[in-house]
Amino acid sequence: MASKAQGKSKAAAKTKAKSKTSPKAARDGKAGRGRPQLDITHADASLFDPLTPGEVADALRTLTEDRRLSSMAKVGRYRVICTEPLVIKPSTGPLNWMAGHRLARIVVYDYAADRAVDACVDLDAGVVAHLEISRGQPMLSREEEALAVSVATLDERVRGKLAIGDVPVSTTHYWGRTQNDLSFARRSAAVIFGRSDGHASLVAVVDLLDHVVTQVVPAERW
Amino acid sequence: MSNLIEEAGWKFHWRLTESAGIMVYLADYKGRRVLWEGSLPYVTIDHQRDALDPAGDPVEVHGPWWVPLGTRTLSGPVRVQSFRGGVELSASFESGPYHYTQLWRFHDDGRMAPWLTLYGPGVHDQHTYHPHWRFDFDLDGARDDAFERFEDGRWQRVEREGWFPYSGEADEHGTVWRQVDFDSGAAINLRPHMWDDAEVFAIRYHDGEWAPFSPRSAAGSSTFPAAYVGDELLDGDDITLWYVAHVHFDQSFPYTAGPWVKVEGLAR
Repeated sequence: MASKAQGKSKAAAKTKAKSKTSPKAARDGKAGRGRPQLDITHADASLFDPLTPGEVADALRTLTEDRRLSSMAKVGRYRVICTEPLVIKPSTGPLNWMAGHRLARIVVYDYAADRAVDACVDLDAGVVAHLEISRGQPMLSREEEALAVSVATLDERVRGKLAIGDVPVSTTHYWGRTQNDLSFARRSAAVIFGRSDGHASLVAVVDLLDHVVTQVVPAERW
Repeated sequence: MSNLIEEAGWKFHWRLTESAGIMVYLADYKGRRVLWEGSLPYVTIDHQRDALDPAGDPVEVHGPWWVPLGTRTLSGPVRVQSFRGGVELSASFESGPYHYTQLWRFHDDGRMAPWLTLYGPGVHDQHTYHPHWRFDFDLDGARDDAFERFEDGRWQRVEREGWFPYSGEADEHGTVWRQVDFDSGAAINLRPHMWDDAEVFAIRYHDGEWAPFSPRSAAGSSTFPAAYVGDELLDGDDITLWYVAHVHFDQSFPYTAGPWVKVEGLAR
C-alpha cells in the first residue's frame, strides 16, 4: 500500500499551485480533451455491498493458499485486520480487468515478518488479483485491541497506578514520534484507562510484538 | 433500511465501513454522476504540552494515535432523516474519551456537507484532531478533470499533484478549491470551514491507491495521504481529493469540521 505505482516519489511533495491558463483555454486545448470517457455511470451498486461471512472466508482462504504468502500461512503468526468489499472503477489502469468483478480487500499483519499484506481477492475468479506487501502499519484488529487490554491490565506498573473504578475505556493504534520511542518502528497500541464518565486517568503503551507494556503515563501528562 | 436514498434531487448509496465511517458511493445529482465514493478514512489525534512545562519537555512528546470509526465504535444506529430542503445521514461513534458524529447532508440546491462533529474530553485539553476525508469525484465521467485553487485573487490551474493548504483566500462564495470537468464545464466546489485550518491533497487516481486502512505507512515515512503525493500531472485525468482539517480542542467544543461541497454547472 505504501508503494506508489511506477516511479513516484513517496516523499510528501508540498507543491505550489502554479498560475495557469483559464478553464476555458484549458477546455479547448488540454491533453485530456477528447479522450474517451469510461463508463462509470452504470456501475453495479451491489458490488459495494458488505461481504457475506462466506465471502470473507473465501477471501482469506484464497489469500492463505497463494504461493506468494506461503511462508506467512505456514508460520501462522498473522492477524487479519479487516476484510471489506472493493470496487474497481472502469479505468485505463492495470487493474481495469477487475472492474465489474466481486472483490474483497483483505488486510493482514504478518507478525513473523513484521510486514503488512494488502490484497485484493477476486471472488469471481478465486485468485489473489492484487498484492502489496509493505512495512506499513494497518489499523489494529479487534483481537489486537483485546490483547493490548489484557497485557496492560496484567502489568504491575499499570495496576499500581489505577484508581478505584478505573477500567480500560479505549484502545488506540499508536506510534512514536521519534526513534527513541520503541513504538516508532514496532507495532503498538495505547490503552487508555479511566472512569465510565469519560475522565481518563492513565495511558499504557503496549508493544504488540513482545506483549509488554513499554510506557505508563498519567493521562494528564500524555 | 435500504442503503439507496433518492431525495432532494440526489440519488446515492451508503454503507457503514470497518474504519472509514459511513461511506457514500455512486452519488448522482439531478441524474448526473457526481461522486464515485467518499469516506472518512481516519481521524488522528495528537497531543501537545504547555511550552512552559517546568520539566522542560518538548511541546509534542508522544506520537499520534487513532481509533477506527466504524462497526466497532458505532454508538446507536445510522440515521436517515429528511430536513427542510434535503436529507441527511448521521452516525455517532464513541471510543472512551473521544466522541464523534459523522454527517452526510445533501441539499436540493446541489450542496453536500460531509461533516464530523467532534466532542468528548480527550485525555487532556491539549490535543488536536485531524479528520481526513477522501473524495473520488467523477463529475460527468471519471476523466477530463482539472483541479484549481483560488490564489492571488483568481482561479489558478494546478498542473501536478500536491498539497494545497487554505491560505485565507477564497472567491466571493468562500470557495477555495474546485474540480472542473472539461467537457461540461461543471464543477465541484469546496469551501472549508473557516476554523478548520484546512488543506487539500490533490492526487491522480490510481488503482491500488485506495483509502488506506491506516494513516501510517512505514516507520519514518510520510503518512497518508502525503505518501501518495508525487509529481504526476492532474490535467485531463481522474483526480482524488483529500480534505484534511486540523482542529485544536478548546473549551468551545463541540466543533463541526468538514467542507461545504457544491455541485455547479450540471444543467448546461
